[in-house]
Amino acid sequence: MASAPELLPYGQIREDLFRPLGGASRRYYLITFAVALVAIAGLVAWGIQLRYGMGVTGLQRPIFWGFYIVNFVFWIGISHAGTLISAILRLSDAGWRKPVTRAAEAITVFALMIGGMFPIIHLGRAWLFYWMLPYPNDRLLWPNFRSPLMWDLTAIVTYVTGSVIYLYLPLIPDMAQLAEHNTPWRSRLYRALALGWTGSDREWHALERAMKLMAGIILAVAVSVHTIVSWDFAMALAPTWHSSIFGPYFVVGAIFSGIAALMVVLATIRKTMGLERYLTRHHFNNLSKLLLLMSLLWAYFTTAENLTVWYGNAPDEMAVFGARTRGPYAVYFWTMVILNFVVPFVLLGIRRLRTVSNAVIASVCVLIGMWLERYLIVVPTLANPRTPSAFSSYAPTWIELAVTAATFAALVMLYLIFAKLFPIIAVWEFKPHPEEED
Amino acid sequence: MHLIGEFREKDALIAAIQALKAGGFGPADLAIFSEEPVEFRSGILDRPSHMSLIAVGGAILMGAAATGFVYYAQHDYQLTTGGMPVFSFWATGVITYEMTMLGAVLATFCWFLWESGLIRKRDKTAPIPEVNPAAMCLRVRCLPEQADGVHEAMYQAGATWVDRREQA
Repeated sequence: MASAPELLPYGQIREDLFRPLGGASRRYYLITFAVALVAIAGLVAWGIQLRYGMGVTGLQRPIFWGFYIVNFVFWIGISHAGTLISAILRLSDAGWRKPVTRAAEAITVFALMIGGMFPIIHLGRAWLFYWMLPYPNDRLLWPNFRSPLMWDLTAIVTYVTGSVIYLYLPLIPDMAQLAEHNTPWRSRLYRALALGWTGSDREWHALERAMKLMAGIILAVAVSVHTIVSWDFAMALAPTWHSSIFGPYFVVGAIFSGIAALMVVLATIRKTMGLERYLTRHHFNNLSKLLLLMSLLWAYFTTAENLTVWYGNAPDEMAVFGARTRGPYAVYFWTMVILNFVVPFVLLGIRRLRTVSNAVIASVCVLIGMWLERYLIVVPTLANPRTPSAFSSYAPTWIELAVTAATFAALVMLYLIFAKLFPIIAVWEFKPHPEEED
Repeated sequence: MHLIGEFREKDALIAAIQALKAGGFGPADLAIFSEEPVEFRSGILDRPSHMSLIAVGGAILMGAAATGFVYYAQHDYQLTTGGMPVFSFWATGVITYEMTMLGAVLATFCWFLWESGLIRKRDKTAPIPEVNPAAMCLRVRCLPEQADGVHEAMYQAGATWVDRREQA
């Protein structure tokens, strides 16, 4: 394997991985401009919602949770790409993780920033968000700490803080290198962020210890965050929500969609930044196997969840089950099954078909399928409450669609900016040992 | 004063460290600079750390503080909801858990900054060598009368060059 990155001369590695940071093509500006436009359109839509109230959305009694909560659960799930994958691979000393981890950690931070916005957007009166903060407000009221909304707040604050630090720590040595030969403003930025890193053994020791500890901590936090998101539903006595397996079911779904998002991002940066030598077929093969495993786990949990409902035959739960599998949501349900199970099983399970492009196709299918899964968890239950006379339906308005599209555009935009400011692969982790130097 | 030697081989660097330690230099006098982490087996140049302990301490402190705060807040303005007691550990356990983890995260990060010396330079005047990407530099703090011995030890171990530096 002459082209294995560890065997390349250091100068070459540095050149390859720092090159994308310098200069930007017209295509880069065009794509950034296009996604920025979509993001701005979403902000305008949100502005209209703030001006005229929640009546501009498709939310109505009894369906008070729609696209916004679906998006919240979806993006928090995507955020599991970084921490879980990076932390698990780091703790297990998987050598192939090196070019994968930073891209994954960046997804986590951006997905969390986007996902964390949705409870605020969903509040309607977003300017009253600070009422959730633990201080005695004008009426000397404290927040109700027993409310799952407060759980979300503390969990997301912890996860964002941990993820940002987890992304930042291994960036420090690279930023110290980048500060050396760069444009003045970039040198200033990198020097400030490198905190005076000199590369001494004390610093390396502390960094490695901190990364190991952080990997363990962030793993526990990541699992808890999506469990808490599932408890937003499971703590309610609504049909099909009040389930004891919702915690692990959501965590599995989150890792599943997180790996899919990671593969799409990795394939994109591999192609656009010319990093084929660093992100090889081997990486996609390993990630494909992980995705296949998660697909099987997802199928197991989905079967267990639905079979229990069907066998129990409780009228209120069967109303939701029927709506999902045979009623107005059936097309979404069976599409979800095909996208989340059949497609990955065929494309990734048959070794001959497990190519990079097929892995990306399977990942895109999984992302769509997992979004549909979140939709199918949230909406049919609310549309089929225990009182049949209150049965209703939900259709999003252009406001919700614009806000949803904006979040995808925002992720692309944040990633494009990040990839221009910081090396998307940790250079110091790729350095060959001195004896291997050409 | 300080002497800086450059090494291309890890074994040569280990030999230099062992020779200097035999000559009475302690880990506090020695510092290695490199563009990648250099791993040694135990006993060569150990850097004991309290980071795990600090992380556990931070976790306990923040978890306890958060639980105490929630207990106070729930009693300060009592909200009776869902038939639960005013302070229910089951219902606030999630907050305790998350704040415990946040305490561990913050303590780890703060201790990393402290232990690495990034916010607490041990010797601000010590020279920082410019490290060749393929090499490792060993910096030794010594008295002027010890300099010749250190110089000799580093060369004998296999240093490619050794340089004497006064305080920066």
